[in-house]
Amino acid sequence: MIVRFAELLTPDQVERVHEASLEILEQVGLLVHNEGARALFAQHGCRVAAEMQVVKFPRAVVEDFRTAFPPTFSFRGRDPEHDRVLPDDGPVVVTASSAPNIIDPVTGVERRARSDDIARIAHLINELPGYDVFSISTLADDAPAGQYSLARFYPALKNCLKPVRGNTPSVEELEKVLRLGALVAGGEEAYRERPFVTLHYCPVVSPLTMDVDSTEMTMFAVKEGWPCYGSVVPNAGVSAPLTLMGTLAQCNAEFLALGVLMQMLRPGAPLIYATLPTVADMRTGAYAAGAIETGILHMGCAQMAHYYNVPSGGYMGLTNAKVNDAQSGYETGMSTLAGVLAGADMLNMGGLLDALLAFDFAKAVIDNEIALMLKRVRRGLEFGEENLALDLIAEVGPGGTFIDQRHTLKRMRTTALLPEIADRDTRDQWEAKGALDSQARAMRRVREILTQDNPAVFSPEVDARIRAEFEDLVAGETIPPHGWA
Amino acid sequence: MDKTQILENLAHAAIEGDEDLARESAEQALSNQIDPLEAVEQGLSKGMAVVGARFESGEAFLPELLMAAGAFDAAMEILQPEIEAQKKEITKLGTVLIGTVKGDVHSIGKNVVATVLGTSGFDVVDIGVDNATLDIIQEAKKAKADVIALSSLMTTTMPAQREVIEVLEEMSLRDKFLVMVGGGPVNQEWADEIGADGYGKSAVQAAEVARRLLGREG
Repeated sequence: MIVRFAELLTPDQVERVHEASLEILEQVGLLVHNEGARALFAQHGCRVAAEMQVVKFPRAVVEDFRTAFPPTFSFRGRDPEHDRVLPDDGPVVVTASSAPNIIDPVTGVERRARSDDIARIAHLINELPGYDVFSISTLADDAPAGQYSLARFYPALKNCLKPVRGNTPSVEELEKVLRLGALVAGGEEAYRERPFVTLHYCPVVSPLTMDVDSTEMTMFAVKEGWPCYGSVVPNAGVSAPLTLMGTLAQCNAEFLALGVLMQMLRPGAPLIYATLPTVADMRTGAYAAGAIETGILHMGCAQMAHYYNVPSGGYMGLTNAKVNDAQSGYETGMSTLAGVLAGADMLNMGGLLDALLAFDFAKAVIDNEIALMLKRVRRGLEFGEENLALDLIAEVGPGGTFIDQRHTLKRMRTTALLPEIADRDTRDQWEAKGALDSQARAMRRVREILTQDNPAVFSPEVDARIRAEFEDLVAGETIPPHGWA
Repeated sequence: MDKTQILENLAHAAIEGDEDLARESAEQALSNQIDPLEAVEQGLSKGMAVVGARFESGEAFLPELLMAAGAFDAAMEILQPEIEAQKKEITKLGTVLIGTVKGDVHSIGKNVVATVLGTSGFDVVDIGVDNATLDIIQEAKKAKADVIALSSLMTTTMPAQREVIEVLEEMSLRDKFLVMVGGGPVNQEWADEIGADGYGKSAVQAAEVARRLLGREG
């Protein structure tokens, strides 16, 4: 465990950020495009300038509704074994999602992602122990008309027992996904009991704006009691001030506004202080998701989340690298480590290159290893009288060795993380094994997994039930990529 | 102050993004009987071209480009009425209708492109955010646009760009407009795939592409 999380702010400074956020919400307000949300805010004491669509939040309203924020958030999987609860099971590692492209595992060339890719990715994520939640990594370019979301959720659910997270473009599509859930679970009641799809939207668009569609879907899901949360995504220098403190204060205000909306809809609705704060590269305006400031800002968000006693986390392991190279590794590793040390409970970090634009199988395997390293950090030193091993130190004595002790034998597989990808051979051994770099070793692991059967796949009965209701549904089979069979 | 100095100051105002100097120099241009068109073309626009080139080479940062546009607009507020009073016209390269597609309210990138198009000699009709496909087409017809420029920041709203092109085809209007696409996740490959006519990865490139599409290079 980590006894005391890294804190970049003093308690007084945390209070000041909170106060600043209340001031922003009260005096600047939020531009709310969604009429239903505006009406709800007005009904609960916010001041709404109708012709301007701007909602201003009296501080008492925010302070009142934030007391309803619950301290935990649960992700449920098809198999309860994979259920995860924030913050206790943190850091919960989630794949990064909704990339339009994929690096083809056979040719290495970037192309549009399809539903069969999602099936393979789901299989891979199900097998890799560092991942807790599968947020659907890509879009499906082959989606039949009217099945934009089904072409993503069906192959994901079919091939993965872990909790599945995703978004939809409309309420109509959302309802189809919920129907799919019920068909998988064997009935609406069964699905209601274990909703294994977690919905995710970005209803707040920085600075201080709420859109129409994502807000509508968030409101629908929260009202109906489906697991759902939203991320706040300010970009310093573009959609937020170019100071980390200004961005934190605005980000915090945006989180509070969304949290308050959710509590107005259903008091006690679970939420996550979920964020993707970045600093734009002012040289060009480029989106710099891999910047170290993303990690620093997440440390601030984690501290604010602790102040509100809500779980936190977000996209802090992204990279701008186009290939799975050193940049990809250090950008993913450094920001996530900062987040974990600051007590972020959730990391949306796996598998994507080029600032969320392309999925890469080998990147997902390496990120799995980074995830396991981060989880090992959270375990910490494991303080305990027994772990001080004083008797053993006395027994072995000066000049002895610990390598042949039963004490060592008992712990040799558990004390240290045993990486699958990182190489620790001598140079001779490494050369004898083909002198493979981490990318090549990761691809070898991908191939091993994708050429095996997937034990997670639905039974034929469940599949028949689904396919009977949704005609033209994509196949969703985990067949090895062409050329690997 | 002589004419050369005033024109230089106008260029300098754009380069420095200095709105006060831009206004002051525009007033001086008028009080010294400098042709307002010349003030734009030989002063302000020259400055804008310098900033644009510096931006493309990485020397100038994005805020400098936008500050330059701010100075340009400040001077134009003074020069434009005089240009109109003299019944002159700045040669416009064409009309661009720009907006974000259905479901997307991310306006900032679109605004940057609109600004740069405006200072590059286009008439820009900005229809804002979250525009339904049919509304975009309706507005383009109304504005007699040469180019429809579609922005989306989210991967989930990119399909709406394709929809605009498909509906234009269904309505037999595809050859009436050039369609440009842009936004964070958009790239040349996507533009090709959906049959768009152009794509610019930055605001400056978008202006170049628009110029090229309209056959107004150089």
